[in-house]
Amino acid sequence: MGNVMSASFAPECTELKGKYDKCFNDWYSEKFLKGLSVENECQTEWYEYMECVQASLVTQGVKPALDEARKEAPFENDGKPVDP
Amino acid sequence: MRLFQNQHVFDYSWDCITAANWKKYPNEVSTHVVAVDVLRRELDTTGKILTSERLITCKQSVPQWVMMLVGGSNISYVREVSVVDLNEKSLVLRSYNLTGSNLLKVYETVKYTPHPNDPENRTLFEQEAQITAYATFTKVCNKIEEWSVNRFHENAEKGKQGFDSVLVILDESWKQTDRIVDGLVEKVDETVVDLKKTTDIFLKETEIKSSKLATYYGYFSDAFKRSNDMNSDGN
Repeated sequence: MGNVMSASFAPECTELKGKYDKCFNDWYSEKFLKGLSVENECQTEWYEYMECVQASLVTQGVKPALDEARKEAPFENDGKPVDP
Repeated sequence: MRLFQNQHVFDYSWDCITAANWKKYPNEVSTHVVAVDVLRRELDTTGKILTSERLITCKQSVPQWVMMLVGGSNISYVREVSVVDLNEKSLVLRSYNLTGSNLLKVYETVKYTPHPNDPENRTLFEQEAQITAYATFTKVCNKIEEWSVNRFHENAEKGKQGFDSVLVILDESWKQTDRIVDGLVEKVDETVVDLKKTTDIFLKETEIKSSKLATYYGYFSDAFKRSNDMNSDGN
């Protein structure tokens, strides 16, 4: 049951997401959790997946709401809302 | 603003729970979550803190009274920022709905930490959700808040039951392979996230609804005026 890959919100990105997820999950369990990682790996898979996702965020109209949320609760603030 | 709080203990190690957190979809319980995408992911220079931003895509049915007033897609989005901290042994996920957030916002924080009494084998799950409706009609706001809180409770209970049943089935095979473990934990964990996604959808619908309401109001008042006019003409 854990071996079915989850889909991307953009169907055209699902395959690239699958490749990235696989790489990431292996890295997470085998290196990160064991404290063996010094860098965020899977960069090749990541950039291919991201290229697809970034484009789809725009074409599917998700970008504006996302940008708003990023201002309100920045990544750099661990997703905590900043005071208005 | 209403507050929802929930706590849970999972009989799995914190490591397992956090690894499963990335793999929990798809599963047959949370069918309303149709996609999960990572948008940004960074590892700090010590290699001990991993921060991720994800987009969770939900598709879900909503109550009839909302549906009546809503048209269009029932897809909605939730943004989540999570931090895995190996130093603290904590996983904190913060999320809220992107869709309909000008009308209603569900801001959820979930925290996984090793259980204080049995840190090697058990994980404490703490969840808090703030549900706020911004609509101008107080009654509508209350109705929405009430509904979303009820929905949270229902899903929390459902999730717990789902988890228990998974545990029973998995107990035997649990120790065999990591792979199996992953699958199970996945289920367990998903219970939680289930809550946030459910509340979200209806929020989005309400947003559209409110604008429709305004339109309908216009129709009704026109219709009223006309029928009044007709009556007075007739008489």
